[in-house]
Parts: sequence; C-alpha cells; structure tokens
Amino acid sequence: MTSMSARFLRLCAAGALAAAALLPSVTPAAASTLTLRVGTTQDLDAMNPWNTALEVGYEVFTLNYDLLVGFGPTLEPIPGYASSWTRQAAADGKSFTWTFKIRDGMKWSDGQPATAEDARWTLQFVLDAANGGNSIGLGYIDPDLKNAGVTKIAAPDPTTLVITNTDPSNRILQMYIPILPEHVWKGQTLKSIPTFTNDPPVVGTGPYQAVEWKTGQYVRLVRNPYYWGKRGAADEVVLQFFKNPDTMVQALKSGQIDYASGVNAAQFDNLKTVPGMVAVAGTTNGWTELDFNCYGKDIPGGGASTKALRDPAFRDALGYAIDKNLLISKVLGGYGTPGTTQVPPFQTRWHVEPDNPRTFDIGLAKQKLDAAGYVLNASGQRLDKQGKPLKLRLYMPNSDATYPKDAQFIKDWFSQLGIAITTQIFDSGTLTTLELPPTKDAPTQTAAWDMIIWGWTGYADPNPLLQIFTTGAIGSTSDSLYSNPTYDQLFTAQNAATTYDQRHQLMAQMQNIFYNDAPYHILYYPSTLDVHRTDKFGGWQNQPANGVPLFGYGSLDYTLLTDANAATPAPSVAVSAGPSASGGSASPAPVVPGGTSSGSPLPLVAGIAVVVALLVGVLLMTRRRRAATGEDDE
Amino acid sequence: MGSRFLGRKLLQMIFTIAMIVILNFLLFRLMPGSPERILFRNPNVTPAVLADARARWGLDKPLIPDQLIAYVESTLQGDLGYSFKYQGQAVTDVIGQAIWPTLILFGLGEVIAIVVGLGLGAYAGWKRGGIVDYLGNGVSLVLYAMPYFVIGMALVLIFATALRWFPTSGMLRIGADYASWVNQLVDFLAHLALPLATVSIGLIGQYSILMRSSIIETLGEDYVTTARAKGLTSGRILRSHAFPNAMLPAVTLIAINLGYVVAGAVTVEYVFAWPGLGSLTVDALAARDYPVLQGIFLLLSIAVVVANFVADLIYGYLDPRVRA
Repeated sequence: MTSMSARFLRLCAAGALAAAALLPSVTPAAASTLTLRVGTTQDLDAMNPWNTALEVGYEVFTLNYDLLVGFGPTLEPIPGYASSWTRQAAADGKSFTWTFKIRDGMKWSDGQPATAEDARWTLQFVLDAANGGNSIGLGYIDPDLKNAGVTKIAAPDPTTLVITNTDPSNRILQMYIPILPEHVWKGQTLKSIPTFTNDPPVVGTGPYQAVEWKTGQYVRLVRNPYYWGKRGAADEVVLQFFKNPDTMVQALKSGQIDYASGVNAAQFDNLKTVPGMVAVAGTTNGWTELDFNCYGKDIPGGGASTKALRDPAFRDALGYAIDKNLLISKVLGGYGTPGTTQVPPFQTRWHVEPDNPRTFDIGLAKQKLDAAGYVLNASGQRLDKQGKPLKLRLYMPNSDATYPKDAQFIKDWFSQLGIAITTQIFDSGTLTTLELPPTKDAPTQTAAWDMIIWGWTGYADPNPLLQIFTTGAIGSTSDSLYSNPTYDQLFTAQNAATTYDQRHQLMAQMQNIFYNDAPYHILYYPSTLDVHRTDKFGGWQNQPANGVPLFGYGSLDYTLLTDANAATPAPSVAVSAGPSASGGSASPAPVVPGGTSSGSPLPLVAGIAVVVALLVGVLLMTRRRRAATGEDDE
Repeated sequence: MGSRFLGRKLLQMIFTIAMIVILNFLLFRLMPGSPERILFRNPNVTPAVLADARARWGLDKPLIPDQLIAYVESTLQGDLGYSFKYQGQAVTDVIGQAIWPTLILFGLGEVIAIVVGLGLGAYAGWKRGGIVDYLGNGVSLVLYAMPYFVIGMALVLIFATALRWFPTSGMLRIGADYASWVNQLVDFLAHLALPLATVSIGLIGQYSILMRSSIIETLGEDYVTTARAKGLTSGRILRSHAFPNAMLPAVTLIAINLGYVVAGAVTVEYVFAWPGLGSLTVDALAARDYPVLQGIFLLLSIAVVVANFVADLIYGYLDPRVRA
C-alpha cells in the first residue's frame, strides 16, 4: 500500500469516527415546554398587521393581538378585546351608539394596563386615515372601519368604549382590525407604518406573542402570561414555512410538525388513512374562476380579441360548455363544490344559489350561441358578429398547479363549440399588470387578453368580493373589467341597508345579476385541505363547522387545544388567568423566553469557518504545487 | 507572478462589477409586472394606496436618470435599500440571514464533492478498466444526471421519514433550549446531514467524470513516460506529474461552481426548507422585490467574478504559460 492511500484511509477513518461520535447523540433538546408546530407553504411577509398580504400574516397578528370583537366557532361575535357590547339606535334611526365594555384589569403582554383608551387610539388612527382618504399600510384591513360606518370613537373611562356609526348591520362586530397598544404604537404615522417592522417580542393582548421571526423560516410565539381568556395547552406555537408541500407532509408524518395547512388532494388521500392523523377538507371562503375581458371600450393595440366577450349572451352560452363537476373530480380530486355566485357558500348567511342555474350541455351551448348570432362557418369555426372566427387567448398565473389542468378541459369543451383556444401561463406579477386597461396614471396598459383562470379569497364580510365587480374597481382590482350601473347601485344600496333581510335581499339580486351576466364563470369553490396529528394535542375544532381547525378567523382554536398526554387536559403553565382585577398582580414577570436557537451566532461562525476552510484549501493547493515543482526541478 | 498580470486582472474585475451594477438595475425593471400590483392584489385596495406605494419605493420617478442615479449612489455607499416584500426590513438583513446557510451547505458540499469526486475520478482514470473505474464511472453518470430534488426526496423518505435518523427540514430545532453549544452544533449537523449529502452526491458525479478523462489524457503525455523511465513509483507519478496537470480543467469547473455557491441550488433549499439564497431569489423574483433582487445579483456577480479571478491566479501558478 502506498503512503498516499494509507493516509487517505486514516483520514476516512477519522472522519467516520467523528461522525459516529456526533450522530448518535442527536436528540431533541429537553422539552419541558409543549410546543404546537404548524406547517404552512406560505411565508410570513410582515409582523406589522397593516403590512401583511397573506393568510399566515393574519394568523400571526390575531395570535398577537385581539380584535375588538372575536370570532366564535360558527364565526359569531364573541368577546375579544371587548368583553360585551350593546347597541342603541338614535331617535331618527339613522345612527347608532355602540357601547363596548373593556375588561377591568386587563394587561398587555408587557404588563402595562390595556384599557379602552388603547382601543380608542387604534380605531381613531384608522378613522383619521379614512377621513383623509388614506389607507394604512397595504390597505387590506382598515376599510372594515369605513364599511362599518363608524363616525365617532370615544373612551369616557378605562373600561368603556363608545362608538357611533351609521351602518345598521352588525358589521362593526366583524372588523378585522387588531387593537394595538398605544404606548408602543403612539409614534407611528401613516408615513412610518409601511416601514415599521414591529419586531419581536411583540406586545399584544392575544393568547400568544411572537418572540422570534426568521424570514423564510418560521415565527415562534410564546404564551402571553396575561392573556384574559381560556388558555390553550400549547406553551409555544411555531409556524414553520415550507417551500415544498412534500417536505411539509414528510415532516408531519415523522412528527416534526403537528399540523399541515394546505396539502394537495393526493397527499390528503394518502394521509387520511394514516392512524393518528385527522384529515379535514374544509369549505374555502373563495373560489377559482374563468373570467372574461368584458371591457366596454376599444383599446388601440390591445383589449379583447373580439367584441363577443362584451355580450352577456355569449358569455352565458359558454357557461353551458363547462362541466364543473368533472373539473372538481379530475382537477381537485373531488375536494370542492361547483361554483355559482361571487359570494362563496362559506358565507352561509349571504350566499344564494342563482335562480336559473346552468347545466353542462354542449348541445345547448351551441344552440344558445347560434341564437345569439354566433354561427358556424363552413369549416366548423364559430364566427363573431363581425364575421371573424373566434380564437380566444386563455391566460393563467403560475401560482397554482390546478389552473393549467382546468385550462385543458376548457380548451377541449370550447373547441367542440367551434371556438379555438390558445393557452399561456404567466408569472403572477406579469399577469397582474397585463390584465389592466389604460388609466390616467398608466396610459400604456392594454388589457390584451380574452380569458383568465385565477382565484380570490374573501373576508369575513362579503363586501370586498362584491366590490371587485363594480365599475369603480376597473383599473385597480377588477379583473373582468365588468361594468353594470344596476350592480353598482345595488352595491351602494346593500352597504346602506338597515336590516339583515334588506341587505340579504339586495345581495341576492347582485348574485343573480353576476351569475346571469357572467363576467366570470366561477369554476368551483375548492376545499381547504388540512391534516393534523392527534398524539400531542386534542381539542381540535373546525371553524366554522364546515371549515378547518386553524387558519380560520381569530385565535380561538389555539386556545381550545388540550394536551393529549395529560391525565386531565389542562394548561401546562399555572398562571392566574381571567379578567379579574387582581388577575395580573400575581403573575410572573412578563419576561418573554427567547434567545435560544436562532439568536445564536452559530450559522455565522460555521459560515466563516467554511469560507476560511475554502481559502486555506486554495492556499494549500497552490503551495503544494510550488513545492512539487521545486521537487521536480531538483 | 507579474504585477502587470495582477493589475490587468483586477481592472477587468472592477469594470465587470461596474457593468453588473448597472445591468442589475435595468434587468429587473424591464420585466413586466410591478411590485405594488403584486403586493396589493386586494379587493379593498384603492388607486391612492398604489400611488403611495410607488412614491415610497421611488418608482414614481423617471427610470433614467432619477431612479438609476439614486440606485448607483446608494449602492456605492453600501446601502442596498429596503425590501418591498418584507416591508421595512433592510436588504442587507434579509440577504444576511440567507447567505450563511447557503455558504455552509454549498461550501461544505463543494469541499466534500471536490475531495471525493476528484479522488474517485483520478483513481478510476489511473486504474482504467478496473472495478473502481467500471462502477465509479457508472455511478457518477447516474448521479450527474439526477436532479437534486430526486436525490433529496429519496434521502428524506429513507432517512427522515422511515428511519427517523435525521430531521426532514430546517436548520435548527425551532425554539430548542440547548444545554451547551455542543448540543446546538450536533442539532445543526443533524439538520445539515441530508441536504449536505444531497449537494455532495449531486456534485461528485461531474468532478469524478471530468477528473477521470483528464487523468487518462495526461497518462499519454511524454513527461509521464519519462517519469516511468526514470523509475518513479506509480503513486509518485500520479501525485507529482499526472494529478497536478490533470487539475487544470478541474480548477475551471471548481471556479465556476464556487461562484455559484452563493446562488445555491433552489431545489435543495426547497426540498429541505433550507433558508438559503436560492429560495430567497425565487421569492423575490415572484414579488418583484427589486432591492432584494439587486442585492442578491450583485453579491452573486461579485462572487462569480472573484471566483474567476482566483481561478486565474491559480491557473497562473499551475500553468506558467498563462502568465505570459
């Protein structure tokens, strides 16, 4: 054996020994804390509630903060920052006074008193922005206050918040606005909010407080020692962000996470037979649609390829050539319901089925097209009213693997009508601009498309999903560029409705107009597919009953979890809870555990070590070469 | 090595980086789609909110010269700006969190692949037709052809889910309280094991194949025959004569690959939820997060340019003709 191979063997042996010494000792750190680990494929974008655009951001901020009024198991109003409320109508019936009681002795997670003044400050900040015609941050959540018709906010004493509003409905109880600690947020302005990171540890009144956030990796929350409500079994909650759903599923299977949010149908079917796992297919507050470019004006060098798309009769006829049940079975693996109106069935209080639903019938679709004046030519091509063969461009974003599958089916069905379809996938960013018509600020936009497959997710109230079909939304959120003055009037009227029945009746009309005019064909309402383990935590509850346990509305479900291994399910930290005045005084100091894994400089040190190793390697190589050359010269 | 050679290479490097800085700016802005549209696909959004965001990000001013000048000025001062997506977070922070995981994973992966791959290739070439050559070459070809995610998912299924020897994902056990830094290091190594194995296995193939053919080529050279005639041992001939000369093409490949250490491999990072630069790049691209994209590409370009510069220097050592 040569000396080189002997040395190589020695090195290998040393390496193997080192590995053997290290690997068997891989054990999780002593876990006295009970941690709920939740996996999601979304990546948190902001800890500041005004700046998040993602569901996971909402999940985090409702764990950190209370809403004024929470959401119960069936999305009914339950105590949140306010423990109770009453409403008093003015004599003229046009305005209302709401009196919210704030718990006496409630505290922020840093131990400061949480009073009605904090709520007043938060809501007044939103009201001032709205009155000035401004939005806060990304502008997602603040419109709730305006939609609730709030005009005046006062905090006459630390436990009383008085709000005057003009909205006759109870939308004020559904505002998705977190109540923030004035002592932390006081210096913030409209200008500063977009760059205010609200770094952990976060101070809130919610059940868990974020103490650590690693962008692209996870956010870790610990129990709020002063939380006023029911205490969930988890001492800590970790939301872990996965890029790859397959890895998330493997992490669930091996017990590294307890909950996987948003798995696909195949994974779901596979997991639902695994013992110790519960797979829940919940209703989604959203849809997947096929939308048409209904823009009513010609756009030089752009716009739809045919005026037929402006004709409701044409769009209606195409609806008969879409087999929604087949799409659900073939594309969603059966996990969804056929789409009808723009108010998803998730909104049980507002969804109505259309009066004249379409059925899948290619023959009928052909008849309707013929009757509307779109006839076939001798070579079987369907012509528009200008005599041009219909060739439609169908676009979709790359954000969802189901869209191209939907497109293949639609292409086939429409070709049976004599309409040629070309499909193209864009990245979402490109499509958001491509779909827009010219505006004053952006005169070069061309809206050069015919049909798009995409989706929307709704809010607690149907208003935002109704709004995207109003004329005013063209140029911003409207992606059908649809305009109907009657629809616009109904939108305004339902906002001003004085009773539930009245608003419901107006909204029913809007849903029928939408369905019959067909700026969209809603293909389906896909199910949300979540899977959780039952070996660590019990007490999982869907919200609402047809929903999924987590990623619902508010933080209630986290507080209902029990320790599956405890003799009596009880919170594992004995801290005096409840809203009593003395409740907080005996509590431990609000020191937030932290400074463990991620705060460590280990990755940095290891990284530097690797760089140094590389440099040393390069140096050694060159020195060896020089030495070798010298040797040869001898 | 002559100082003129060094000076010329340095000047070239600085010029390249300057060009990249400008290109970086233009490249992403020429892409269709605007960041505020992506971030604000929101049924509640108003045109005023969109306009505010554009103004805040400086996108309301003319691209050239205003935006370009502002960008070059701040870049020269080392200020890479703030992320659009992770609002309020400095680009240096966002990239800073992602760069070390990538460097560790791909740096170590490269080192292992270089040592094992070059060793395997050299041995296979030296003993051409032997069992190591026969098996090694076949395995190398298969590994070379295999995408990272296939190797990665296979490792996860076997070693994480079935055997439970290693965690499936992440870099450290989140929220763990470590008794000492040794425990933390062990936890880190456990998390690192599978992704590192994936990267190394994925890279070994190309080094081994290249080195094998390179060694075979040098074996036919006159100086090897001379060395044999002088009566040197096989090992000495391989170490002192064949191997150093066969290293030349390998140095090029190593330099190219080292440049991409910073870029990482998106698929490995995706499979193992390894929080590196690769996945950050993809996310930033989807969000049209111009400042983060600019930052990453600047870093990447500098890494590639510097790696090539170093390769040039090493080349100069290895082959004196290059210095001429």
